[in-house]
Amino acid sequence: MIIELNKFGTTLTSRQDGKEAYNAFLSTLQTVSNNEEIEIDFEGVITFTPSWADEFITPILDTYSSRVKLLHTDNPSVEATLRLLAKIK
Amino acid sequence: MHRFKNLNMNSSYLTINEAAKLLGVSIDTLRRWDENGKLKAVRQQKDGYRFYSKEMIELYLKDIFAVAKKWVVSSPPVLPESECYCPDSLVFKTRLNRLEHDLSKIDEVKNIFPLITAIVGEIGNNSYDHNLGNWPDIRGTFFAYDINKKQIALADRGQGILKTLRKVRPELKNDEEALEVAFTEIVSSRAPEARGNGLKFVRQVISDNNLFSIEFYSGSAKLFICHGSEDLNIKKSDITFPGCISLIKF
Repeated sequence: MIIELNKFGTTLTSRQDGKEAYNAFLSTLQTVSNNEEIEIDFEGVITFTPSWADEFITPILDTYSSRVKLLHTDNPSVEATLRLLAKIK
Repeated sequence: MHRFKNLNMNSSYLTINEAAKLLGVSIDTLRRWDENGKLKAVRQQKDGYRFYSKEMIELYLKDIFAVAKKWVVSSPPVLPESECYCPDSLVFKTRLNRLEHDLSKIDEVKNIFPLITAIVGEIGNNSYDHNLGNWPDIRGTFFAYDINKKQIALADRGQGILKTLRKVRPELKNDEEALEVAFTEIVSSRAPEARGNGLKFVRQVISDNNLFSIEFYSGSAKLFICHGSEDLNIKKSDITFPGCISLIKF
């Protein structure tokens, strides 16, 4: 499964929006089959923050951990956010 | 360039001489600011006379951080001017998008502007996340930026860092300690109250990039993180108020 984050917007900043995105996507996420890889694609995202990530990325990483692959993470706010999330875990 | 036709006849524009007098600088300084992009002039034709919009000069004269500081301590409380007031997170989000767009047009920050929008987003959204339903008087935030001076000011009349952090760290003694914890200690999202780590993120971005600095005030304490440094420089501040106020320079 590929999750294209730009389908949720390109300025992904608030905890509230992250939570709403996760809740809306949960039913799709639950269709992932056993052992299927989940690719989270950051292509097209302009601004990304730990608050949004903590509501959307963290629960996916907690549930699927090693099956999650992150793509196109070269945006500076994506890089900085992922670095902070790695420290929190 | 029809828009700039007859600029000298248009009362919304000033000559370079008039602009220099208002700003208290020399004409040569204004020419230099135009060339280096600090304060761009408009011209009727290439290499023609420089003109300045009155609106731009008024904004340049306004110290947005001084306005924000005045607002957080005002008694009785008053609403901020409408162009700076975000009563709810939706208005804040719209203005954050505008900041992102405006920053993306500046050559010198074109590769790192998402970091600026991200730290502004974290600070602004913190105000709403921690005060929703509990604003002591005026709901919402003050949010203004000055692209020419490369400054962004954010403020709220919320509960402040100490009061919100005490929900998870009841042992905190004062505003200085609260600021230190907020900017340094990772608080797990599994803590009793779901908390962001936004201010740690702000510190990380400022220390990893030699491009930004922040002044942050809450309660009776203030903090200053200089670009490229991790030091918090926490002190007693010259103002005491219940919320938070910050100035980001880039």
